[in-house]
Amino acid sequence: MARVKLDITRRQFLATGLAGTALLGTGMGPGRSNLAMRYPDPPWFATGEVVTTYNYCDMCPWRCGIAVQSVDGKVIKIDGNILDPKSRGKLCGRGQAGVSFMNDPDRLQSPMIRTGERGEGKFREVTWEEALDYTAEKILAIKDTYGPEALAIFGHTTGDFWFTDYFAQAWGTPNAAKPSSSLCLSPRDEASKLTFGFPVGGHEPMDWDEMECITLIGSHIGEDSRNTVMQDFVEARARGAQVIVVDPRFSSAAAKADYWLPIKPGTDTALLLAWANVLITENRFDRAYLDEWATGLDELTAHVREFTPEWAAPITDLSAEQIRATARVMSDRSPRAVIMPGRHVVWYGNDTQRMRAEFLVNSLLGVYGRHGGMYFNKSPFLEAYPHPPFAVTGSSGGCSAEPGEESDVLPLGPTGKARADGAREAFLRGPTAMQELIDPMITDDPYRIAGLVVYGVNLLNSIPIPNRTIEALKKLDFVLAVDVLPQEHVAWADVVFPEATYLERYDELSPIAHKTPYIQMREPAVPPMYDTMPGWMMARELGLRVGLDAFFKWETIEEYLDTRLRSVGSNLEKMHDDGGVIIQEGKPYLEDFVADGETPFHTASGKIQLASEDLAGAGFDAIPVYEPTEEPPEGYYRLLYGRVPVHTFAKTQNTPALSAVYPENELWINEDEATALGYVTGDRVWLENDNGDRSGPIAVKATQRIRKDAVFMAHGFGQNAEGLTNANGRGASDTKLMSRYKLDPISGGGGMRVNFVRLVEGG
Amino acid sequence: MASAFLLDMTRCIGCEACVLACKAGNQLPVDTQYIELIEHTSGTFPDLTGGFQNHRCYHCADATCVAVCPTGALFKEDGLTRLDRDACSGCGYCVQSCPYEVPVMSDGRSSKCDGCAANVGAGGSPWCVTTCPAKALEFGVRDAILAKAKERVAAIKDRYPKAQIYGETQAGGLGLILVLPDDPETLDIPADPPDAPAVVDLWKHVVQPVSMGATVLAAAGAGVLGIIARRNHMAELREVEETEKAGVSSGDPDTEDV
Repeated sequence: MARVKLDITRRQFLATGLAGTALLGTGMGPGRSNLAMRYPDPPWFATGEVVTTYNYCDMCPWRCGIAVQSVDGKVIKIDGNILDPKSRGKLCGRGQAGVSFMNDPDRLQSPMIRTGERGEGKFREVTWEEALDYTAEKILAIKDTYGPEALAIFGHTTGDFWFTDYFAQAWGTPNAAKPSSSLCLSPRDEASKLTFGFPVGGHEPMDWDEMECITLIGSHIGEDSRNTVMQDFVEARARGAQVIVVDPRFSSAAAKADYWLPIKPGTDTALLLAWANVLITENRFDRAYLDEWATGLDELTAHVREFTPEWAAPITDLSAEQIRATARVMSDRSPRAVIMPGRHVVWYGNDTQRMRAEFLVNSLLGVYGRHGGMYFNKSPFLEAYPHPPFAVTGSSGGCSAEPGEESDVLPLGPTGKARADGAREAFLRGPTAMQELIDPMITDDPYRIAGLVVYGVNLLNSIPIPNRTIEALKKLDFVLAVDVLPQEHVAWADVVFPEATYLERYDELSPIAHKTPYIQMREPAVPPMYDTMPGWMMARELGLRVGLDAFFKWETIEEYLDTRLRSVGSNLEKMHDDGGVIIQEGKPYLEDFVADGETPFHTASGKIQLASEDLAGAGFDAIPVYEPTEEPPEGYYRLLYGRVPVHTFAKTQNTPALSAVYPENELWINEDEATALGYVTGDRVWLENDNGDRSGPIAVKATQRIRKDAVFMAHGFGQNAEGLTNANGRGASDTKLMSRYKLDPISGGGGMRVNFVRLVEGG
Repeated sequence: MASAFLLDMTRCIGCEACVLACKAGNQLPVDTQYIELIEHTSGTFPDLTGGFQNHRCYHCADATCVAVCPTGALFKEDGLTRLDRDACSGCGYCVQSCPYEVPVMSDGRSSKCDGCAANVGAGGSPWCVTTCPAKALEFGVRDAILAKAKERVAAIKDRYPKAQIYGETQAGGLGLILVLPDDPETLDIPADPPDAPAVVDLWKHVVQPVSMGATVLAAAGAGVLGIIARRNHMAELREVEETEKAGVSSGDPDTEDV
């Protein structure tokens, strides 16, 4: 089996991290430096030539451009790529730990085929030849018996393109899904499409440089350590921008806020409607902007008349004065005042409407296309590698792919089957909903899904109701797990493909829709460790074995990438020499469109839809209304979850350097509540939901920083995976405490803030 | 010329990028870190303030650790407190005597930030400074850093009426100049760290420079050890106090042995 060819000649002998930082003119003489230099002795960058390779980080989905520094074939240090518009030479803690992620001794090292029962985690190591042949045989059998649609493909992280997008479409299954859609962004992007005619996009188009007021609803910048957003937030605030934070918890961002609104969970739409009421009744909205660029102002005006701050106050547990004051702070600075669209918006199952309400307030503030508001992002031009027409197009969607044009007719697979996730019936629109594909695996309704490929999704620590997922795993004919680590679900696979990490492989180019559209590259710093393989090679080798040769015409990944780059006047070598990015020109502001006689809004009317005809036509409210969410039963708390800065999803808990800094999650509970229950910080408790499911033990963090009706923990802990030395059994799992979710009937998002827990002793 | 860090706690958002950049760039053992972020909160819900203490070496001009170090492993250079681990004997005096409780023992030797001496010597910046997404960290000539800190404080007085500089004078002047939003105690930083005791002074300025007689050495050594013993005792008292406050059983021997 061919291994990845490592092209040494292209390497650039420059330590970006060193060369890129200017010293503020210290007069450092040699002094006793001979002594000082002995620790470490000598420092790594003095032990040999420092070789820089360019990459985009895979430690979270944000895709910061990075410069990877290696010496003597060992990767030592990762820095933000100075030329990359996302990282600008900076990098978060997770990105810094990429080397630790790669060198994790728990990594999957060889392809494996199951020998024991599913779930036992018993495997024999096999050659790639055998693993690939066996997999091809199994999925072809599924295709012959049930059709290609019967193979579901789940993918996550920055390499998911090859399986979830490319292979899935070539193979012909519409049942490809990413958690970044229905378990994260779907409601936000569907709301944006309904309102503005385009999704928010992977990189939120906040025009931070000129922003004067930032409102965060649940976004916990700092704990959510997306590099660019932290940079921009801190800079805007230091420049004097006002910060309004709406969060039941006194987050790191709330501690930086000028106004903190500790809202009752689940009532955000009431707050947003009241803000709209203030802006309209006090004539504090951008009438000229809306007259030119929006429809439905009269309906909106009539709709929000009754939703006064006095109406919202008892619902939200905020004061009418707070609501009114913050609306005025925003309007005084509009259009340089933005409510950040945020991420992971799947909360209560009414999430598309809540996001619509947010976008309506933003529209009243006149933000889109305005300096200091939100810009129109643009995707970079980059031609695809020539391939035959796909067997099914636009199947998956997610952060890195368009879900295809919305239409009344869903794309059909080769044997005439549409997605099995209930789209158009259980929910209106949006990319394939991963959590809705689990039931069909169990019930064969609407048709049998017999095979599952899992690329990089931590299946049992991401999808709610994990017991249901296990039931599905038991019933499937075939399960392939592609991963770097022996995650919990890997024990349920029939075949395991161990992947080379992002530092060990070439990969698809990364196009970033941005104010300045640009393209990132991924080149290996070192060859794959152990008997691992890059995802692109697995997809290709599998493709060649199942009759998809026409889609994998390229002999080497270098040829594939060079061919694509030629369409933008570059190639791998040139792109490397140019510093790892190709930056194009954007079209960010309204005036750019006016000059061209175009509208930036791609709704049917070409205008912002304050009242949505699409929604009204489908039987939904044209303008959002507030609907109460279920309250916690007596003695229970609403389970909230989020991030800590050094971990991503359920992916990094085992990474040695990150585990050392934050080894297990803590349960934030209001100090007075904890005292009443007899707990203090550091006590270890278990959590039990109202369905009797338990997870723990988890350390109590008794704090004033959270409301009394909710508890909070970092997501991704409480994993049960014996092969993960650092992550196994550490802390509690929010996912395992989710015995329910609430389906958003518009976007297919799975609302997960609808679970309630209490503190109990013992597991 | 003395160098210094600027650490602006009104910018720090608590992301811990500095912690991991330091670990990676200095190739620290996995269980060792030179920087630790500690969350602090004041007030009661919902009237709260809070932030992070960025716990790391303060690079004191009058560095107690340097004064008590018997081997010269800890020394001052360019205003910063360096550590030559090869020369460290592992006595732990620095751990016990630091007014900020910074150095720890790692693999039997002292371990703490040395201001990225090697990295800076090669023309770069300390790793934490290079990566900080919030640009809360800067590094440069101390006078320039101090001037910048003063500008910052003046600029943020509207938002933070109690904004202040920390480190201009403490411990003889620190190599880590903090811009604080509030009094240092709110981040559990002592407003005035205890001065280096007289006996440490004696150790540093009299005993060490001269070719020392065994008697003087023993006497001064005993003095230093006395300080350390007292510190340990005080620390133990504090621990007991905290444990009792927390309402946790401290393991009563009478009830344990049933």
